[in-house]
Amino acid sequence: MLILIIKNILRRKIRTFLTVLGIGVAIFLLFSLLTFNQGYKNSLIKELDLLGVHMLAVPKGCPYEAASLIVHGGIIPKYLKEEDLKTIKNIPEVEIATPIFLAQLVEDDRISIIYGIDIESYKKVKKYWKVKGRFFENNENDKIVIGSDVAFQEKLTVGDEIYFRKFNKIYQVVGILEYTGGQDDGFYFLPLKEVQRIFNKESLITAIGIKVKNLEKIEEVIKKLEEIPDLQVVTMTQVLGTILNLIGQANSLIYTIIILALFISSLGVINTMLISVLERRREIGLLKVIGANNWDIVKLIFFETLILVILGALLGIILTIGGNKFIETFIKEIITHSPKKIEINFDWKIAATIFLYSLTIAILASIYPILKAINLRPMETIRSSDE
Amino acid sequence: MNNEIILKTEKLNKIYLRGEERVWALKDIDLTIKKGEFVAILGPSGSGKTTLLNLLSGFDKPTSGKIIFLDKEISLMKEKELQKIRSKYVGFIFQNFLLFPHLTVYENITLPFYFNKRKDKKEKIYEIAEKLSLISRLKHRPSQLSGGEMQKVAIARALIIEPLILFADEPTGNLDSENAFNIFKIFETLSKEGYTVVVVTHNWELISKFNVRKINLKDGKIV
Repeated sequence: MLILIIKNILRRKIRTFLTVLGIGVAIFLLFSLLTFNQGYKNSLIKELDLLGVHMLAVPKGCPYEAASLIVHGGIIPKYLKEEDLKTIKNIPEVEIATPIFLAQLVEDDRISIIYGIDIESYKKVKKYWKVKGRFFENNENDKIVIGSDVAFQEKLTVGDEIYFRKFNKIYQVVGILEYTGGQDDGFYFLPLKEVQRIFNKESLITAIGIKVKNLEKIEEVIKKLEEIPDLQVVTMTQVLGTILNLIGQANSLIYTIIILALFISSLGVINTMLISVLERRREIGLLKVIGANNWDIVKLIFFETLILVILGALLGIILTIGGNKFIETFIKEIITHSPKKIEINFDWKIAATIFLYSLTIAILASIYPILKAINLRPMETIRSSDE
Repeated sequence: MNNEIILKTEKLNKIYLRGEERVWALKDIDLTIKKGEFVAILGPSGSGKTTLLNLLSGFDKPTSGKIIFLDKEISLMKEKELQKIRSKYVGFIFQNFLLFPHLTVYENITLPFYFNKRKDKKEKIYEIAEKLSLISRLKHRPSQLSGGEMQKVAIARALIIEPLILFADEPTGNLDSENAFNIFKIFETLSKEGYTVVVVTHNWELISKFNVRKINLKDGKIV
């Protein structure tokens, strides 16, 4: 019977192709979004983990800005003071408090993120950092460390010089960070004092990275930090929650579109099968006459539908695997808070979900055509075409 | 031909309702068909030929009366049982051949095997194709055949299950006189080989050229 089913499917090649394409695109959208969501979350957690701190003290304001600051190196037009850093360092449960001054430098339509850090404390939170060359000392105000992406794009090696026209100053590259997979790869690192000086923000800090001695005491630390005026604390869990919430809102819209696409593609399958049954009324009548029972007819139509849907699902999966890059670029464009690299991996659980979905579509889409077919009265159907 | 009765009807009646009016399609049909007989059911349009064929092949139920096939009353059988009997003992041939255009001649002939739980008996197919001069056409599609050849394929498809009885509904309606004659010649040969052949037709001229038992129907009665 398989030959009969396959030959029936191949009979109307263009119609079959269009139906399979419709299902394929719908599955592609569904599969991409599901795998993307999983990959996005994993990548975000990994990236936040790379920050090496438990929380961040930032000037009071919008939590989304804070999230942007952490993930992207975004800019908040408010600052903390050096006194705040001292206060935080005096909290006994705080293990490390490292000041950060973030700034954007726009030159020739190019935005460079300048990261001013206190190298001694910062190295403690970025224990995994490996550097080709060396780190600068806090008092070396003409030395710079750059991320691996910057080195690659600007073709810089240790010993080279970087000229920032805006400040009319040359910095010597003393170290290049080995690839981290995080945002650090795209930053320029300078001593904190130097960045504060060139941006005329002496004694001001954009954020303070905080690592506590004991994670169980984190709530206590937060309470103490919140007593500091004009300061808010953002924990990494909150950042994750905030960003995932943002993604969730975008996802709701995308899911709606996908559900519509799936619904329309399902209607396409029903339509194809129904037309196929109506066109083949005489043939189905004949099959009954030459020995096919209702169960044979059910199998014939169901497996035809199933093959169409499975072909569509396979096409969708191939499109997903091949189109990951496209989806990543597309989603990064509509969602601003994206990890540097979103790892989209093939997930068997999602594939199983897709398979179950396909099976459901096949069952639902074949019910009506099957009912139509098994209710055909063979002799009448055959003879109606004679007249 | 031997005397074994293969199909029998007793006081067979079929009444259709047209609105509130009762229309007698068949009235008191008593019929006996023996193994190996070549039978032609003749009659003008509306005489009840098709209704009789539907009843004899179990595709319709009589209003009253009995249809006995191989000593079993098929008029009382459920569709599932009827389907089993049809797939095992009955072959059908139709006016418009009803071949699957996307299948080859070989695949069209094998079609009943998909549903009859028998293996593709290649030898049987070649034997029948040889008998009907279709060997050279086995790989062709129906669109590449003449009308006469298409009807031969339909006959081969009906014969593949080695049925006891062949029902042919206006089998020459779409054929020219030469091909029609050839098809009837095949039926005659088959009946000589032991197949029971029941043909519904209104082609008196053609029938007169063969040794056929004629059953004439008029207004639902045998005349």
